[in-house]
Amino acid sequence: MRKFITHTILSSSLAFLAMQSHAQEPSVDEIVKKANHVAFYQGDDGRAENRMKFVDASGRTQMRQFTILRKDVGKEDGDQLFYVLFERPTDVNGTAFLVKKHIGKDDDRWLYLPSLDLVKRISAGDKRTSFVGSDFFYEDVSGRALSEDKHTLVETTATHYVIDNIPNDPSSVEFKHFKVWINKETFLPEKTEYYKQGEKLYRTIEALKHEVIDGYVTVTEMKVSNLETGGYTISQMRFIKYDTGTPESVFSERSLRTPPQQWISRPQP
Amino acid sequence: MKDKITNFAIEHPKRVLWITLIFTLLVASQIVRIHIDTDPENMLPEDQHDRMVHNQIKQRFQLYDLIVVGIVNQHGIYNPQSLENLRKLSDDIKQIEGVVPHELMSLATVDNISQEGPGTIRFNWMLPKENISEENARQIENNVSRLPMFLDSLVSSDGKAAAIYVPIEAKEYSHEISQQIQALTDQLQGSDEYHITGLPVAEDTFGIEMFKQMAISAPLAGLAIFLLMWVFFRSFSLITAPMLVAMSTVLVTMGLLIGTGFTVHIMSSMIPIFLMPIAVVDSIHILSEFAEIHKPGSRVKDSIRHVVGNLFQPMLFTSVTSAVGFASLAFTPIPPVQVFGLFVAFGIGLAFILTIVFIPAYIAVLSPASIEKLAEKHAANESALDLRGPLNVFHALSGIYAKPAISAALVISVFSFIGIKHIGINDNPVRWFKEDHRIRVADKILNEHFAGTYDAYLVLRKDNSAQELVFDKALNELASNNPAVAQLMKEVPETFNNFSEKTSWYIQAADDASFDATDDSDIIALDTVIALAEKNQSSSKYFASPEALAYVEDLQAALQTGGVVGKSNSFADLVKTVYRELQGGNEDFYRLPDNARQTAQTVLSYQSSHRPADLWHFVSPDYNEVAVWMQLKSGDNKDMAEVIQQVNNYVKHNPLPAEVSLEWGGLTYINVIWQDAMVKGMIYSLMGAFVMVFAVMVILFRSVIFGALAMIPLSFTIAFIYGLIGWIGKDYDMPVAVLSSLTLGLSVDFAIHFLDRARTIQSETGNWKETLALMFDEPGIAILRNAIVISIGFLPLLAAPLVPYNTVGIFLASIMAASCVVTLILLPAILTVLQKMIFKDKQKDKQTTEVLSHA
Repeated sequence: MRKFITHTILSSSLAFLAMQSHAQEPSVDEIVKKANHVAFYQGDDGRAENRMKFVDASGRTQMRQFTILRKDVGKEDGDQLFYVLFERPTDVNGTAFLVKKHIGKDDDRWLYLPSLDLVKRISAGDKRTSFVGSDFFYEDVSGRALSEDKHTLVETTATHYVIDNIPNDPSSVEFKHFKVWINKETFLPEKTEYYKQGEKLYRTIEALKHEVIDGYVTVTEMKVSNLETGGYTISQMRFIKYDTGTPESVFSERSLRTPPQQWISRPQP
Repeated sequence: MKDKITNFAIEHPKRVLWITLIFTLLVASQIVRIHIDTDPENMLPEDQHDRMVHNQIKQRFQLYDLIVVGIVNQHGIYNPQSLENLRKLSDDIKQIEGVVPHELMSLATVDNISQEGPGTIRFNWMLPKENISEENARQIENNVSRLPMFLDSLVSSDGKAAAIYVPIEAKEYSHEISQQIQALTDQLQGSDEYHITGLPVAEDTFGIEMFKQMAISAPLAGLAIFLLMWVFFRSFSLITAPMLVAMSTVLVTMGLLIGTGFTVHIMSSMIPIFLMPIAVVDSIHILSEFAEIHKPGSRVKDSIRHVVGNLFQPMLFTSVTSAVGFASLAFTPIPPVQVFGLFVAFGIGLAFILTIVFIPAYIAVLSPASIEKLAEKHAANESALDLRGPLNVFHALSGIYAKPAISAALVISVFSFIGIKHIGINDNPVRWFKEDHRIRVADKILNEHFAGTYDAYLVLRKDNSAQELVFDKALNELASNNPAVAQLMKEVPETFNNFSEKTSWYIQAADDASFDATDDSDIIALDTVIALAEKNQSSSKYFASPEALAYVEDLQAALQTGGVVGKSNSFADLVKTVYRELQGGNEDFYRLPDNARQTAQTVLSYQSSHRPADLWHFVSPDYNEVAVWMQLKSGDNKDMAEVIQQVNNYVKHNPLPAEVSLEWGGLTYINVIWQDAMVKGMIYSLMGAFVMVFAVMVILFRSVIFGALAMIPLSFTIAFIYGLIGWIGKDYDMPVAVLSSLTLGLSVDFAIHFLDRARTIQSETGNWKETLALMFDEPGIAILRNAIVISIGFLPLLAAPLVPYNTVGIFLASIMAASCVVTLILLPAILTVLQKMIFKDKQKDKQTTEVLSHA
C-alpha cells in the first residue's frame, strides 16, 4: 500500500510537472528520458498476459499467447530482466525465453524448447530481429537504449512532442531515422514512424489503447505495421500487474525448464 | 453489284482515293494509343484454371516473379571486393521502383544460422554491414557451405558466382528494372562480371525488341516486296498501288485493333507481317493481268473492267478462304491468338475491298501517258526476270510427266508424315533471342553455375474439411447442452481464412467468456471448447508432422535424381537446417524432427531471425500446404513437361497421403500450359479451318471434285512444311503453330486462282492440252510472280534479332515456294491424269461459272 501511495504521489507530481511544462518546455533529453521510463520502466517489476495476432497481407491471422514477467535490476532505467512463457498455440506451449537486457552491451537471451528439452543461448547480431515471427522486434518489446540515437525535438503540437531520432551507428539498424509522437501529458510514446533511405515510411508502431493500471499509464493494445509487406501485428496486454515483488531468482535458467507458476499465474482481482 | 462498285471506282477515282486516304488516317491515328503486352501468361484467359491456381499460389506463398542477377568472378566471389559489390548492388537494387525490397534475396539480405560456442545458436546477417575483410570472406564461404538452402541458389557450389533474386511487383517493369540494374553494375569496381536473366526479363525485353521490329522488319519487308515488284512491272507509279493497299490494310487493321482496346501482344505484333503478303497478292494478280491485257491504244477503263471481271471471282474465293482460315483461330482457347486470327481475317476482307475499289481507281487516275509507257515497256521488255524457263519445266512435269510427278508427290508425302511424327513440341521465351543476345548469354552462364534460374512451384495441400465437419458437430453438441457455448456459437464470424483461424477464434472467445463466466458448468463447458479447439488446431497443422514432411523430402529426392530439376527447396529443408543448428550443428541431426511439436518449436526459433517471413514462402501459416520451390536449369517447355511427368510417376508409385492434393505454379509451368493449349487449339483450329475451307470451296466451285482439288496443294504444303520441321528438328513453338493457318490461307489462294482460270479456259478450249499450255502463260506467271515476291520479300525478317521473326520469315518463304510449286505441278498433273473424269461435264461447269461471274 505504501508503494501504491508513493506511486500516486509520483504520478501526480509527474502530471504536475507536465502541466508546468506548458509554461516551460522540457528539454529533448528530459522528454525522451521520461517517455522511455513510461514505456518500459514503470514500477519495479510487472507481469502481463499478451495476445499477439499477426495478420499478413492477405488477411490470414496467427495467434501467440504468452505471459511476460519483468524486473528492473539496473539503476535509473538501466538493465532489466524478462521472462516470457508461451501458452498458445499449444504446440509451443511451455516454450520460454529469458532475456537479460544490458545497457551498453549485447543482451543475453536464452530459449527453452520443451519438446526438444533444449536450452539454447541465442546470440543475435542485433536486437532488430523478429520477436517470434511477429512484426515486433525484440527491441520493441524490451526497449532501445536512449544512447543509441541522437534525439531532436522537431515539433511541438497541442498534444504531442515529436522527436526525431537518428542512429549513431547507421549500419546496426535497417532504418535511417524514426519519429516518435510523445503525449505531452502522459509522456506515453503513442506513435512511432520508421523511415528508410529516401524518406520512405516503412514501419509504424501505434499505442491503440491505454489504461491507468496500478497508478501507471499503461499501453494495453499496440499495433506494429510493416508497410512493405502489408502485414501487421496487434498485441493485447491483459491482466497487467505492477510491483508484484517477483524475486530476481525467477529470472534464471531453472525457470526455463520449470515455469515459476506462482508468478506466472493470473493475479486474483 | 461488283460491276457497280468497279464502275463507281473508275468513274469517281479521286473521290475513292480521298475517302481511302482519310479513312486510313483516321483509323490509323488510334495506333498512338498502343499498349504492348508481352506477358506470355496472357496466352491464357484470366480465368483459366492453371493461371488462377498459379496466381493463388503466388498470393498464398507471397511469391513474386524474379529477375536473376548473377555476379561471376573466375577467381571466386569469396573476396572482400566481390562481396562488397554484392552488398552494394543488393542495397541499391532495393531502391529501384517496382522492386519488392523486403523480398530481395542475396547473401547480403539473409541470416546466417550458426553455432557460437557450446549451447549457443547465433542468427546474424550473413554479410557484415561494412568493411568485409579477407577473413570475413573465408568465414562466409564456410558458413554458406553449411546451409543447403543457400548453396547453389545464392552462391554456386564452385564459389565463382553469387546471385541476387530480385522480386518485382509486375512483369511489365522487368526490362526497365533490368536496365537500371545494368546501370548500377556498370559503376561497380573490380573484376566481377554481371549477368541479368530470368523469364520476366526475357519476356519483357522481347516486347521492347518486338516493338522495334514492328518498326523495322515490317517496313523492310514492304520495301523488298516493292523492289521485287519493280523488277516485274518496271513502273513505280503502278506498283505503288499494291503498296498503298498493303499499307492501308495494315494501318487500318492495327488502328482498329488498338482503337478497340486490345493490347498488342507478341501475336498481334505479327499482324502487319502476315497481312502484307496477303494484301499484295491480289493486287499483283490485277497488275499482272492488266499488264498482259492492256495493249497500247486500248481504253484504260475497259481494260480495268475486263481485268476485274476476270479476277473478281477467284479473288473473292481466295479472300473468303484465307479469312476463314484465320478466323478459325477464334476457336483456339488462347485470347491473343483469337484476336490475331480475327483481325487478320478482318484485314483480308479489307484488302479485298481495297483491291477491287482502290486499285481500279488508282489506275484510272494515272495519266494515260504513264499507262502507255507501262504497256509499251511490258510488251517490249517482257521480263527482267524470265519466268518462262521454270514455267516450261512445270508445264512438262504436269503434262508429259504427270504420273511420275504425282508419284514423287506421294513419296514426299510419306516422308512428310514420318517427319510430322518426329515433331518436338517445345518453346522457351529465353530462346526467342539469338544465342549472342546478352539475355541468352546470361542464361547460359548463370545456369552453368547455379541450380537453375527457372522457377516452378509444386504445392501439396491438405484438405481438412472432414475434420472441420467433425469439429463443428462436436461444438453443436456442446452448445445444445450449455447456454454459454450456445452464446459463443451465435457470435462466431461467418467465414474464416482457414480452419486454423476458426479454432483460434474459438480458443480466444471461449477463453474470454470463461474469464467472465460465473457459473461452474459454464466454465467447464467453455474449457471443453478450448481443449477441443486446441486439439483440432494442433492436429490440423498437417505439414508440421514428420510423415507429411518425409513425403515432401522423398519427393524432392526423387526429383533430384531425375536430372532436370537442378535443386528444390522446401519447408523440410528449412526445418532440417534449423533443427541441426539447435542440436549443436552436427550433420547427424540434419534430419526431420521426431514430432509436430518439435517442428513447431524449431520453427519458433527460426522466427527470431531477421527474415522470419521467408518461412511463408514454403509453408502456409496454418501448416496446411507446402510449396516446393524447384530451380530448373532450362526453361524449355519440354524439360518442364518432363518434370511434371516425373512428379506424376512418383505420385503414381507413392500415392499422395490421404486428403492431400497437388498443384503447380510458376512461370515455367504456366508456359507449358499455354503451349499445350496452343498446340491443341491449333490442331483443332486447323482441322476446323480445313473443313470450312473445303465447304467454301465446294460451294464456290459448285463442285465437290473441284473443292477437293483445291484442298490438295494446301494439304500437301502443310504436310510438307511440318514434315520438314520434324526432319530438321526445329521445335514446334508459337510462331510455327501460327504458321499453319497462314499456310492454309496462302496455299489455297494459288489453287483457287489456278483452278478457276483452268476451268474457265477449259470451257473455252474444251481441250486440256491446250488449256494447260494457256495456263502456263499469264495465270502461271501471276502465280509464280506472287510466290517469288512474297518469298523473297520476307527474307529481311532473317535479319531481325528475334528468333520468332526469323522463323516466320523462313517459313513464309518456304510456304510460298512449296505451295506455288505444288499448285503449278501437282495440281495440273492430277488434272492431266484425271481430265476425263473432271471435265466430263464441262458444259454444265461453264454455265455455273457464268452464273457466278454475273452474280
